[in-house]
Amino acid sequence: MMAPPRRSTLAHGLARHLGLALVSALLAVSVIGYGGLYLATQGRLPGGFEFTSSLNNTMPLALAGLAQTMVVLTRGLDLSIGGIIDLSDALAALYLGTTAASMALASALILLAGAVLGFVNGALVAYGRLPPILVTLATLAIFQGLAIRILPQPGGAVPEGYTALLVNTGAPYALFYVLAMMLFWAVLRRSRIGIALLAVGDDEAAASSNGIDPVVTKLVAYTLSGLIAAAAGLFLAAQATAGDATTGNGYTLTSIVAVVLGGVSLFGGRGSGIGAILGAFVTTMIVNILFFAHIDPLYQSFYEGAFLVIAVVLAEGLGRLVRKRRARA
Amino acid sequence: MNDAEGRRAASLEAVSVSKGFGGVQAVSGASLTAFPGEVHALVGENGAGKSTLIKLIGGRLRADSGIIRYQGAAAALKTPDAAHRQGCWTVFQELTLLPAMSVAENLLLRREPRDVFGLTSSRRLRQAAEVVFARFGIRDIDPGALVEDLPLADRQVIEIVRALSHDPDILLLDEPTSALMARETAWLFGEVRRLRDAGRTVIFTSHRWHEISAIADRITVFRGGRDVGSFTTLDEDEAVTLMTGQRVEALYPPRPPAPAPAAALAVADLAGGRLAAASFTLNRGEILGIGGLAGHGHRELFLMLFGAMPRKAGQIRRDGQEIRPRSPRQAIRAGIALVPEDRKTEGLLLPLSVGDNLTLAVLGRESRLGILRRRRLRTLAAAMAARLKVRMPDITSPVGALSGGNQQKILLGRWLLADCAVFLFYDVTRGVDVATKHEIYELMTALARDGRAILYYSSDAEELAHLAHRVLVLREGRIAAELAASGLNAERIVAAAMHEQAAP
Amino acid sequence: MSDIRRRDWHRRDLLRTGLALAATPAILSGSAFAARKFKIALSNSYIGNKWRIEMENLFKSALLMEPFAAEIEGSWYNSGNDVSKQSQQFSNLIAERVDAIVLNAASPTGLNGIIKQATDRGILVVSFDNVVTAPSALKVNTDQFAFGRMGAEFVAKKMGGKGNVIMVTGVAGTHVDLDRNKGAESVWAEHPDIKVVSRYTGMWDSATAERNTAAALPSLPPIDGIWCQGGTDGVLKAFIAAGRKLPPTAGEAENGFRKFLTGYMGHQVDGISIGQPPFLSVISLELARRALAGDYPKKDITIPFPYVTSETVKVGETVFPDLPDSFFADFTDAGPHATVKICVDAALDGKACAGRLAVELPAA
Repeated sequence: MMAPPRRSTLAHGLARHLGLALVSALLAVSVIGYGGLYLATQGRLPGGFEFTSSLNNTMPLALAGLAQTMVVLTRGLDLSIGGIIDLSDALAALYLGTTAASMALASALILLAGAVLGFVNGALVAYGRLPPILVTLATLAIFQGLAIRILPQPGGAVPEGYTALLVNTGAPYALFYVLAMMLFWAVLRRSRIGIALLAVGDDEAAASSNGIDPVVTKLVAYTLSGLIAAAAGLFLAAQATAGDATTGNGYTLTSIVAVVLGGVSLFGGRGSGIGAILGAFVTTMIVNILFFAHIDPLYQSFYEGAFLVIAVVLAEGLGRLVRKRRARA
Repeated sequence: MNDAEGRRAASLEAVSVSKGFGGVQAVSGASLTAFPGEVHALVGENGAGKSTLIKLIGGRLRADSGIIRYQGAAAALKTPDAAHRQGCWTVFQELTLLPAMSVAENLLLRREPRDVFGLTSSRRLRQAAEVVFARFGIRDIDPGALVEDLPLADRQVIEIVRALSHDPDILLLDEPTSALMARETAWLFGEVRRLRDAGRTVIFTSHRWHEISAIADRITVFRGGRDVGSFTTLDEDEAVTLMTGQRVEALYPPRPPAPAPAAALAVADLAGGRLAAASFTLNRGEILGIGGLAGHGHRELFLMLFGAMPRKAGQIRRDGQEIRPRSPRQAIRAGIALVPEDRKTEGLLLPLSVGDNLTLAVLGRESRLGILRRRRLRTLAAAMAARLKVRMPDITSPVGALSGGNQQKILLGRWLLADCAVFLFYDVTRGVDVATKHEIYELMTALARDGRAILYYSSDAEELAHLAHRVLVLREGRIAAELAASGLNAERIVAAAMHEQAAP
Repeated sequence: MSDIRRRDWHRRDLLRTGLALAATPAILSGSAFAARKFKIALSNSYIGNKWRIEMENLFKSALLMEPFAAEIEGSWYNSGNDVSKQSQQFSNLIAERVDAIVLNAASPTGLNGIIKQATDRGILVVSFDNVVTAPSALKVNTDQFAFGRMGAEFVAKKMGGKGNVIMVTGVAGTHVDLDRNKGAESVWAEHPDIKVVSRYTGMWDSATAERNTAAALPSLPPIDGIWCQGGTDGVLKAFIAAGRKLPPTAGEAENGFRKFLTGYMGHQVDGISIGQPPFLSVISLELARRALAGDYPKKDITIPFPYVTSETVKVGETVFPDLPDSFFADFTDAGPHATVKICVDAALDGKACAGRLAVELPAA
């Protein structure tokens, strides 16, 4: 057989990681835009405080985005993420205790609880063959209700040591967690289960005839989602230094935004957890840019929406362009 | 059948296997016996149950009843995985590659090379895939490419290589050659022979008789969901008779009488895409063949006539009136219908019923004050389905449930109901079983006798030689030769398509 | 705009240098410092209802009026009910080195971490309306328990201490809803002959209150009193639609309800209208201004509710027949002991009113 000219490894890499490349570019552009605006308005460049607080403020969303990625990759959607974050946040505010041992134990149990709730979602979706949107919309309401019962009024307390560990305000230690999340994704992507997640989302029937069990795969996806969402709740509580059983609600939607910005396909099978994490940072940068651009606050959500639409259309359009090029090649 | 072989140990047995989908019995009481060192062909019309049987044997579907044995032991086939563990690998007709993943990932799915931590990497995958490809002599597929970026033929090759790389004891290939070019088919047959010589069993299906006669050691014929006989030698006419259950005198019906010169369609200097310039006249009652190698402007010619592609230049006259079809809708209004090769993507609404699909083009005509005349529509549809001998459970069944040839008939029926006068047949028999081919030929000649004009492109020159009154051979976007019916044969058409001087 | 900001910044830098040289904190409250404008920002969460819009408009208008115009450089931000976004905006305000942040929070606890960072850096945080629990933030609010009591006492008195009342509550799970309900319940407990025959939420929204009332009414006995947290005009409209007579009513400060107090849709209601005043933002701004200037202690403030009854309501001052029902008519206080008096244009468009804006903080 003839050997046609091969395309370079780089070209293939770019083609498969287009979403990741785009969100990286988007993040770079938005960071530069933010830096420029900051310099123009403040007469100096953003420093340690700005870096650390942006990092700390984004941690819960970065985790929520990663959680959402697990499920979106399998062509599902997890609307209950906000509810799990609420629950985890409420439990953390009440039961972390004051000793290192109690904090470690409570954290582990809360993560376990998140995983169990995720497993329930997964079981309903995989065994019950119910649409993920429906299942997780219902469990969202249930988890939110549970959270309100556990912590009817905002309150409780997160010990200072815990806050210092997760979202240290003095130095950007949270960077370590971001790297850990990225490492988690890199390992997952190279493991059996990671490949199964992508395969099931790509084409469930094909994956199944290749011996991948879609039921088990989905169970794992939703369980991981619940576990990571619970971690997001711990960070949220640590950041607030107290609990509020409603502050997680918003993450259901913003996690989807992070996922979409991160180039993860809502149709499953394509995308990277790293993309979703970077997508979360892009949303923070958008908030920062609009802040320092001194946009009339009443138009702020308009600009946020417009920015999102432009980003998604751009990503989609570029993706299509690259695809066409490749088809012609 | 041969008693001596009957005593040898079978490597694969299916005994009285049945499988139904809803009300339709796809396989009913089918049996199959295959031996080590044997290439075993399954033939039958579309819908005869071959593909379903292969899915049952390969573990993709579960039988309602019956027994499947590998190497004499009952195989518990809950999943394809179970079949794989017992040495049986299948290349299904619907490919099972994951489009968003790389070739290497697909090739090595679930047996990725892993390091001590159980992790794989794209570098390891690529290296391992190159080893596999080298083993089977594949050099032109890049292991790093995404499957979705590859042409269908490459995907089919990957699917085959993946099955081969598991060293299967039993290999099932369901229409593996329909997407392959001649060169790749030759490669595949080389691999199949190698397996046979190593004492393995290969089951395969094809609608191309020359392939079957070239490679099969044994042929089992299927009809109506069950096997009707197993043979070591069989000729095509016997096979067609067995497959259809009725005596077929000849595959090709007689050519209709030569038409009088009365132009239904006149084309002058038509150009666009790869079509540089084409001028010809199509008469009423004429079957005008269009021959030539693929990629020389045939597709463009048909699409422009049907208004599905913009023209760059040229005139089209329909019954002497100039027309400028800018959409299929306008073409149909001018009485021009297209019957394309790929039935599923062009024209039919698969979830809708046979009746709905048949009457789609006449809904405007058959309604009063915007309200459909349902009873009349149903009568029209039923009459047309009967005329075309559509095989279906009933007129309300969804078109998606029918076999390919029957779907094609429904598209044809729609244009007949719409009273189209010019029919553009574009490679309609590709991938169609021989019995349905025969019916399509009969329909086509009946249309011509009825005074309709037919423009007929086929990638099979044999068909053109038997059916057309004249054949225009396209080469490099121009009409390179016009061949008359007398003395017409496939060789002359192919020659005209390849050499300047071939046409006398 | 950025030019002005940069100039300010330079001036402040010079000042800092000067201070460092002098190294005497006493100068901080001296006249040299007064030459510089204080930077005060409003960090608001949700902006999707009329109350919040009026609240923000009043803040904007105050910035245009003296003494604020001369002394304050103000800005305002909305984050929606997204705590992490408000937290990020808060971080940006810290980065901008504002002097004070006036805060209506998305969560009573969710911002505590970032508030501590702000106050640790010497930024004054004044929280109002949905107040925060962070100990370092000053709180400006009303006594919601008193709100509940005040309305309930009025209704109980008008009913002669006996009969059937309905309670239309607010958004469950909030402090405000809880405290108001407790206040009302404490009054009912004092009147054993008053029976709460129904209790449902109106979500502080007229349309919801009207819908839920219409759903509840058919199964209810004659009602002698209405106690409502919000959406009061909706409740009354549902009564009219059901052909019921309108009993004494305690409700919020919606213009629509106040129209009923003067006579509206052919009905005149005997009632009391109590408001969570949108001018809490202005009082917080004043507290921040005076605390920064050092002439008011850094302490929490509770202000009395502005209220009117059918006897005291005044057209053009505390009720506006030409404005929509959903307008909050308590944008200004009334009477001799008013905390804030401001014109209607300020509430509607954030425009400056004539003259100085006088804000009476409680005696220090």
